[in-house]
Amino acid sequence: MSKRSFPLKDLFRRKFQTAVTVLSLTISTTTTFFLLFFGDNIGFEVALLTGGKLTTGFSYMFSVILFIVILLDFLIGILVMSFLISLAMSERVRDVGVMTAVGCVTDLVFGYFIMELSIMVFVSCIIGFISGWFLNIASINILNTFGFAISQQPINMWIMPYAFLTFLIVPHLIGTRVIAKALMVKPSQALSTSFSLRTPLKSRFSTPSKFGLGFKVALKTLARRRIATRQAIVCLSLVFALTTVALAGGMIANQTTQSYVVRAIQRNVVLIGNSDIIRRYVYLLSLYSEQRETQPINYSDPQFFISNSLVSRLRLISGIKKVDARIVLETKVYEVPKITVDPESKSYIVVGDSRSSDTFVLGLEPENAVNDWLVMGTTLNKTDIYSAMLGHSLATSILTNPEQQRIKILNEDFGIAGVCQDPLNNGNVVYIPLKALQSISGQTEYNLVLLQLDSSNPSLTLSQIREEINGTALEITELNEVLQKHLSFLNTSWSLVTLAPLFSLVTAVLCLSGYVTLLISIQQRDLAIMRAMGAKLRVVIRIVVVQILIIVLVSGAIGLSIGLLISFFLLPEPVISVASILPIFLWFFAALVFLGVCSLYPTIRTMKKSVIKAISAI
Amino acid sequence: MQKLKKPAVVASSLCKEYVIGDVVVEALKDLSFQVNEGEFISIGGPSGAGKTTLLNIIGGLETPTSGSITVFGHDLGARDEDFLATFRCAYIGFVFQSYNLISTLTSLENVAFAMEIAGWPAKRAVKRSQKLLKAVGLSHRADHFPSQLSGGEQQRIAFVRALANDPPLILVDEPTGNLDFKTGLEVVKVLDGLKEKGKTLIVVTHDERITRLSNRTLHMFDGRIVESR
Repeated sequence: MSKRSFPLKDLFRRKFQTAVTVLSLTISTTTTFFLLFFGDNIGFEVALLTGGKLTTGFSYMFSVILFIVILLDFLIGILVMSFLISLAMSERVRDVGVMTAVGCVTDLVFGYFIMELSIMVFVSCIIGFISGWFLNIASINILNTFGFAISQQPINMWIMPYAFLTFLIVPHLIGTRVIAKALMVKPSQALSTSFSLRTPLKSRFSTPSKFGLGFKVALKTLARRRIATRQAIVCLSLVFALTTVALAGGMIANQTTQSYVVRAIQRNVVLIGNSDIIRRYVYLLSLYSEQRETQPINYSDPQFFISNSLVSRLRLISGIKKVDARIVLETKVYEVPKITVDPESKSYIVVGDSRSSDTFVLGLEPENAVNDWLVMGTTLNKTDIYSAMLGHSLATSILTNPEQQRIKILNEDFGIAGVCQDPLNNGNVVYIPLKALQSISGQTEYNLVLLQLDSSNPSLTLSQIREEINGTALEITELNEVLQKHLSFLNTSWSLVTLAPLFSLVTAVLCLSGYVTLLISIQQRDLAIMRAMGAKLRVVIRIVVVQILIIVLVSGAIGLSIGLLISFFLLPEPVISVASILPIFLWFFAALVFLGVCSLYPTIRTMKKSVIKAISAI
Repeated sequence: MQKLKKPAVVASSLCKEYVIGDVVVEALKDLSFQVNEGEFISIGGPSGAGKTTLLNIIGGLETPTSGSITVFGHDLGARDEDFLATFRCAYIGFVFQSYNLISTLTSLENVAFAMEIAGWPAKRAVKRSQKLLKAVGLSHRADHFPSQLSGGEQQRIAFVRALANDPPLILVDEPTGNLDFKTGLEVVKVLDGLKEKGKTLIVVTHDERITRLSNRTLHMFDGRIVESR
């Protein structure tokens, strides 16, 4: 028999096993390529949606999460495919033993099985790639009918050829390793089932007799097929962990970024100032989620000033938690380079350049600030009046190293205390102590006041404030509406990003159903013997289902815990609430139910086979 | 006057066909015979004569294409899988040619499993299994897996498992075919003991020692019984 004809004939004669392996591999490649295509389209869409908006820090978070999700999806695909190949090829150890026992030379046997492996992998990859592309087109069309506006991008030639090659190469490496290991085994050992199952010489595992028969046998089978069980649990745990990171990471990132925005703006905050300044402030704050045009104004115009006496009166209103009186202006902020000694070369080096940016500068009393930003570094303190806190976008656009450098505002140098996530002017802001701004600008009067109201009776407080400013040129504006706009904008953006992890969960479930089918096909002889001995169908089905449940629950618990732990460290100061965790558990529960239903089909199909056929199945 | 024995197995015009690709293979052709309770029947014949197929049909593992098969009054012709499973559990002890022990269960568990599916409480099943293994001299192999046992030991475990529920009909396929002379002799002794106990035995064999022990020998050729003596 030629080297080419044997593998083909062998694959065709082992129709069921070949079909199950190729189907499982195809599902794995299809879903992974689908996610790569789909993720690419979503990434493009998110970039369109957030272009020119968001602060640098928030855009970075979006791109990081999306990148991680797509990378994880790819890893899940590779992992599942390798596991399936390893499982399928491990089942051929006995055949390798038979062939070497009858005198086939090692090279020939190796060639046969590598050829079989290549045929299965190549067929699965080709079908998977094409199906993934069509699935992607179909999904985008379906989503667009539900109100999304995702455009179809051409195939990304920078990613897809490499992804395809990886999918061809990695399973080959894994499969070759398994075949090579099988060839090292003596034929007598390979022919013994104890070798392929790695059954112990003595049975040490026992189950309490009070457990039902199905549960006991399922547990024993898992414990004694320990290599396959361990492999399954490790692989599935990783799949679950990666899926959890993808799913939970997206959800936690959504809640966390929303919390950053809420902390930076705060709820129940009202602005008091001249209508022009208020309009300008609201415009700068709205840049985060929408773009409009307004003209810069002259902030030092005396008509914008707010008297100290008014601020003092406002402080007396009991429904106001905080009175944050500020001086605001727009001016150029300059980078100050720093000359320092390089610790390695001991030579002088210059950190930074001479960049500048038109920036919104705010002078405030740090102890009265209504905001509670996410700050890298430290927040402003009242003792060091020549320190500044920069918005993230400004820090990344004009500074090389904020920890070492300084900035110049109105010819005065400021040290940098910290960098904050602030949606105001898309993060192109500087906060400095009020006294410092008064000193360098020569303006002593406030031109804007932020008030944080007690949430118990805000309407009463608002009417008291209106009474106080009655008769002046000042206006009052609530910021809750702007905050709400930002939150819904973030929600829309994240809902698009979260689609990818949701699909990755479906991928994981489909891949697991492939594993279940393989698991059943491996055990069909033992299950048929049980039936021959008089075990009813429902007992045998229970044994299979319990095995699947044990594996999925154990790996689900491990994977979910690891995944949540990793997600927790993805973002600084993450927000993890019951509301964010509950959907993850619900998704997983739905996935488990789906998996249970999926596993019933191959189980029942196998059980319909005649007992004699199943016993004699190779 | 000799006591009248009830029929244990009644086969009438039994046919079994397999379709392999486009080819129809007739494994059994118009077979009719009766085995009475307590009888020891040996079935001989060349390979491919249909002996194992006949045994499988009597054991409810396969159904005939046409004709009828009645075992202890139960027509096995058109029954669902659950009925056949319950029937096998209650009436049949099957010893397969290749032993067919469950690979992931130990010797003891293989025997206990057969008893537990018949409704024995787990603890009692284990106790009785230990006792049965001791009786065939395999108590030291109780915790070993099938792959760690010799052919003869696996054969004995298969016998113990088949007899664990004390079934009235025992079907044995080539019990000495894979064994050496001495181990084969032990199997012959076991069969003799079962005969003494009045069990109904149908044994497919080429072994003269077993044929001599049986009450009647059916010789099969090309799906038919060509001789009965």
